[in-house]
Amino acid sequence: MSDENVKTVTTEETVNEDELFHFVPYSAEKAEAIGYSDYSYWGSVWKNFLKNKVAVTLAILFIALFIFSFIALAIGKYDFSELKTDTTMAFISPNGEYWFGTDNLGRDYWCQVWYASQTSIKLAAIVAVGECALGVTIGLIWGYIRSADRFFTELYNLINNIPTIIYMTLIALLVGRTFTIMAVSLILIGWLTMARNVRNLVIMYRDREYNLASRCLGTPLGRILTKNILPYLISVIILRLSLSIPGTISMESTLSYLGLGLGDDTPSLGILLRDARNYFLNYPYLLIFPAVIVSIITVTFYLVGNAFSDAADPRNHV
Amino acid sequence: MKNSVKRLLALATASAMLVGSLSACGSSSTDSTDDTTSSGASSGSSTTSETGDTGDSSATGAVAASEINIDTSEDAIQDLVLYETTAREVESLNVLYSQSATDFYVSTNLQDGLLTNDEYGNLKANLAESWEHNEDSTVWTFYLRQDAYWVDANGEVMGQITAEDFVTGLEWVLNAYKNEASNTSMPIEMIEGASEYYEMTAAMTEEEALALTTEDFLEVVGISTPDEYTVEYTMLASKPYFDTVATYACLYPAPTALLNQLTEESDIATAVETFRTSSYTDMWYSGPYILTYFVSKSEKVFEPNPYWWGNDEYTRFNSVTVKMVDSADVAYTLYESGDIDQVDLTESNLTTIYNAGEGSTWYDYLTEKLPTKYSYQIHFCYNKNTEDGEPDVNWNTAVANENFRLALYYGLDLSNWYKRTNAINPLKCENNCYTMSGLIYTSDGTDYTTLVKDLLGLGDYDGESVVRLDSSLAEQYKEAAMEELSALGVTFPVEIDYYISSASSTAQDSADVLKDAISDSLGDDFVVLNIKTYTSSLSTEVRTPKLASIYINGWGADYGDPQNYLGQETFGNDNAYYSAVYSDINDFYGEDGEEPYSEELIATYEEYTALVEAADAIVDDLDARYEAYAEAEAYLIQHALVIPCYYDISWQLTCVNDYSKINAPYGIQNNRYLNWETNKNGYTTADYEEFAAAYESGNTAE
Amino acid sequence: MDMLKYSIRRLLQGLITVLLIATVVFLLMRMLPTDYYFTEEQQMKFTDEQKEAALAAAGLTDPIGEQLLDFYWDLLHLDFGESRRIQSGVAVVDVIGEKFTISMQMGVISLGISLVVGVLLGIGQTIGKDRLLDHIGTAYTVFVNAVPALVSYSLVLVIGSRIFGLPSVYSSRTNTALSMVLPTICISLSSIAGYALWTRRYMVDEITKDYIKLAKVKGLSTSQIMVRHVLRNAFVPLAQYLPASFLLTISGSLLAERFFSVPGMGPLLTDAISRYDLNIVQTLVILYGSLGVLGVFLGDVLMMLIDPRISLTGKGGGAR
Repeated sequence: MSDENVKTVTTEETVNEDELFHFVPYSAEKAEAIGYSDYSYWGSVWKNFLKNKVAVTLAILFIALFIFSFIALAIGKYDFSELKTDTTMAFISPNGEYWFGTDNLGRDYWCQVWYASQTSIKLAAIVAVGECALGVTIGLIWGYIRSADRFFTELYNLINNIPTIIYMTLIALLVGRTFTIMAVSLILIGWLTMARNVRNLVIMYRDREYNLASRCLGTPLGRILTKNILPYLISVIILRLSLSIPGTISMESTLSYLGLGLGDDTPSLGILLRDARNYFLNYPYLLIFPAVIVSIITVTFYLVGNAFSDAADPRNHV
Repeated sequence: MKNSVKRLLALATASAMLVGSLSACGSSSTDSTDDTTSSGASSGSSTTSETGDTGDSSATGAVAASEINIDTSEDAIQDLVLYETTAREVESLNVLYSQSATDFYVSTNLQDGLLTNDEYGNLKANLAESWEHNEDSTVWTFYLRQDAYWVDANGEVMGQITAEDFVTGLEWVLNAYKNEASNTSMPIEMIEGASEYYEMTAAMTEEEALALTTEDFLEVVGISTPDEYTVEYTMLASKPYFDTVATYACLYPAPTALLNQLTEESDIATAVETFRTSSYTDMWYSGPYILTYFVSKSEKVFEPNPYWWGNDEYTRFNSVTVKMVDSADVAYTLYESGDIDQVDLTESNLTTIYNAGEGSTWYDYLTEKLPTKYSYQIHFCYNKNTEDGEPDVNWNTAVANENFRLALYYGLDLSNWYKRTNAINPLKCENNCYTMSGLIYTSDGTDYTTLVKDLLGLGDYDGESVVRLDSSLAEQYKEAAMEELSALGVTFPVEIDYYISSASSTAQDSADVLKDAISDSLGDDFVVLNIKTYTSSLSTEVRTPKLASIYINGWGADYGDPQNYLGQETFGNDNAYYSAVYSDINDFYGEDGEEPYSEELIATYEEYTALVEAADAIVDDLDARYEAYAEAEAYLIQHALVIPCYYDISWQLTCVNDYSKINAPYGIQNNRYLNWETNKNGYTTADYEEFAAAYESGNTAE
Repeated sequence: MDMLKYSIRRLLQGLITVLLIATVVFLLMRMLPTDYYFTEEQQMKFTDEQKEAALAAAGLTDPIGEQLLDFYWDLLHLDFGESRRIQSGVAVVDVIGEKFTISMQMGVISLGISLVVGVLLGIGQTIGKDRLLDHIGTAYTVFVNAVPALVSYSLVLVIGSRIFGLPSVYSSRTNTALSMVLPTICISLSSIAGYALWTRRYMVDEITKDYIKLAKVKGLSTSQIMVRHVLRNAFVPLAQYLPASFLLTISGSLLAERFFSVPGMGPLLTDAISRYDLNIVQTLVILYGSLGVLGVFLGDVLMMLIDPRISLTGKGGGAR
């Protein structure tokens, strides 16, 4: 109806403004088309992130480091699985043969460091993703469903107030100490913080008008949670995720220090650091190499996480 | 009985008041030199029945605090500072209750037992000034010195130590509700009625057990006090070595007067609890030192007991401080800065100093320690399970084969592994006997282990090669074993599961070296070592479920007889420690009486057991007894039922002459801070070599 | 009146939480095999009957429900039992009493240092935003967070003892104060960074707000604005965590205390677990739980006192 009106008006007025405006013939298709902007959420996140030069550099450095850990193992002169102990070769400082020197038993340190880096990064990544998945899911339910709040709050208080070391000891004693067990138990303890952060935000956004509207329109719960609320949480989730990785690495090294860490046949950076502690006064390189790698990982995730979470905040998108 | 206690108490308190002032000036003027001590006090090891001057005065009840006998020569240290790692902190100060070596390291300085040892390990009079046994060694009589006193934490005399205190002590140990079964094993094994008394109390309620009187106890147990200063023990059977048990905690006296006093103050249950757990401030001391300061995991200070009977005989320190540190590496930095007077060197510290040569300040000061009291063995588990609880048939079949074991015995070259303990003289660590050397001597002064080595045809340490190795024999046995075992369906390489503590990176490193040593010397086609870890308890996590194929374990003597070692491996005996819980040979038939993996192995064990029992039956002639034991031991080793492994000989930097210390192969007398020679400037390697030579010649002269 | 009611309700809730925690830990610890009750040496020499006897003497063979009731009964009497293996026979309260003063001393000094240094650094960073001091502060924060504690402690140890000649081991008898310097520095390292980071974060948030512009327009001096307005407002969120941090200084630092052989609370919990010293584990968990709950509550109260706009009793409940 209105289309016809417009048509009639335009046919009556003409002449001068011909150069500026011209008539568009009626098209049923175009009339049905919906307004569209080329805004893409992830595209903007990415664009914003790229603006932060330091973070980008570090991220590239980290990825390079990770890739290099594979190359390093391949080009190293010694294979990790075939290391031989030979105390006469102990404590050789880094040189052309042993690029990172040798440890107290005369084993090549290069392949140990890189192998350990892979283990640690793998563990940290798995834990971060697991924590995130579990934490976000529980956080959403905890925050959105009022009747569940009380239960989860009490559960949180209970678990959070019992020192982690008790859980880890019990798990190590009763279940075992493999890579999988370690990853699972760290996830089972680590989801708490994530869930709490998510829950606090969900409570903030839960009763915003647009959500009320959605609910009135009968949008299913899952859709409200994933489409209406989740995007607001992404920046916080990313921040937590990036802090969880260094957290896992330091947790793992503390646990190794206490004998509750990974088994010694799977060396991690934590175990190397623990062992190097005994020798660092005489042989600092044993401490420096793993420490530098841990530091790179930590700084990267700290800064990249911050930059990414800023970039992920929709309020910063224009 | 009661009257005499009261009388004594009164006397003691009176005398304590009398001399309290004396002691004050006595201890404050320690710098004045005592002539007798400065001139090489520790050179002579005087033995037995000398009561000394103080004997007369004590008879009349007047106790005098003597000026503490301190080595005041120019270089001697008067205030000694030592270290321990925090993991080795004392758990209990009650010498009767405690069972751990770390505790005894402290309490041996605080309490005295019947006998002690000298620097060569010979028995020496202590609270007992002489002792004797009847013809068949079934009754042992100890004559107590009359100048020994209980002293409280303030250094005041609380009463005399009499025979009654030894009765109280043994009753305490054997009463299930008092000592909670601690230290009962040796009395139960040796003293008449001890087992019955323990079982009796264990079956009672707490009230009944605590209500038992001394008379009840004396009726059941073979201990008596013919007079105030004589204690007599009656054995279950002939025990020619019972005097060596008199250096151990289970025969220590307990202060009867203190227990009575505590009981009067409240009730018996509280008194028992209070005494068992008494702290350093409210316990009574009978030993050379009093603990005057103690903060757990931080510091302990020992100061001389002013009323100790041995002042004329021994030099002591003005004070001994023990600092607790996190690790030996921390201790090393403390030694470097002069804060402590001795430090054990870790592998990395030793390597660094040694490799730096003269460039290191400490190179000339590297000194080799004496072996620890433990003889380490590789113990096989003959009844191993896999992790899912099923019998590990592959391993059990392999290890039951004598050729398999002998291939390990002749082929396993551990010299690289010894370097972990002793990087400079690794071969010194080689051990070829089951019994610890330096424990038992025949009447002509020959070490018992020499008898064993002669029977095995093995020479002594030559500094060049591993004495036991014989590669051609090893190869023969290996071939034979592989042939025989393949026929039985054993798959090669045979996997050896070996467990270590997960918290210890040192253990991990050693295990890695061991794995390589096994692979290098025996070949990957034959055996391969799997390193596995346990988190907290070897016995719960590994031994009970029988998961390990081998254990490397050291045994320190409880008393001075080969029976203490060889008895642990006998077959079919529940008290044989290793047979029961390590090798598990006793359960070899399996739970349903299945076929054993090897009749031959059982026969070997039975033969060995018969040899041990025959040796144990010889009680009238000690030389013949040792001869017989040596044969049993040689049999055990020749059939490789266990494989002797190593002695723990490591390196240190020190200001203390270890050769001047008590060197007791059994009991709890080690680490008494008595007659220690010290040098503020630290001892050099050359000094120690001299000491070692002097010690050797002194030892043969004994 | 409202406040009183609210406080009582909060504390009662806290009490229930602590009780629940204690119960869970009680049950968890009893999942461990009872063999952990014995030392390796006792394991060696004890027969099964002897083990049984010792366990029975300690009341560990009773049915779990009965043990739990006994536990509650003792708790009601504030009887925390005795240590079994850490210091055999000594009352748990005494074991903890001896240790917590040491940890708390160092903790409180370190808290003081990190508050002063951290907050000052944060202020400095805010004032000199994007200038040298700010960069130094950020670099420090990143460094402390990035480098593993073991490494930074080692650095402190080497520099402190080799260059400044400070004692590298805690000494409880002589030179105690001096020997506390290095461990205290180590504990402060990361908390200084934390306080600086958050102070800066909150102050920068405040500084862009309209009322600050108004204050500037009104002609207040920068220092007045910074201290009276910005800092005060920025301090509110920090204040919430202060009481908890203060109370929990009692728990010490596991790593720093082990590193410098300090006989404090830090390593106690792990030691007690590995030695099956149940009474100590339970008491510590109850202690930390109670202090945690109390700390959060006091934090809320403190926040309310500093910022009158915050009300705890109004609609919406606790500020947690």
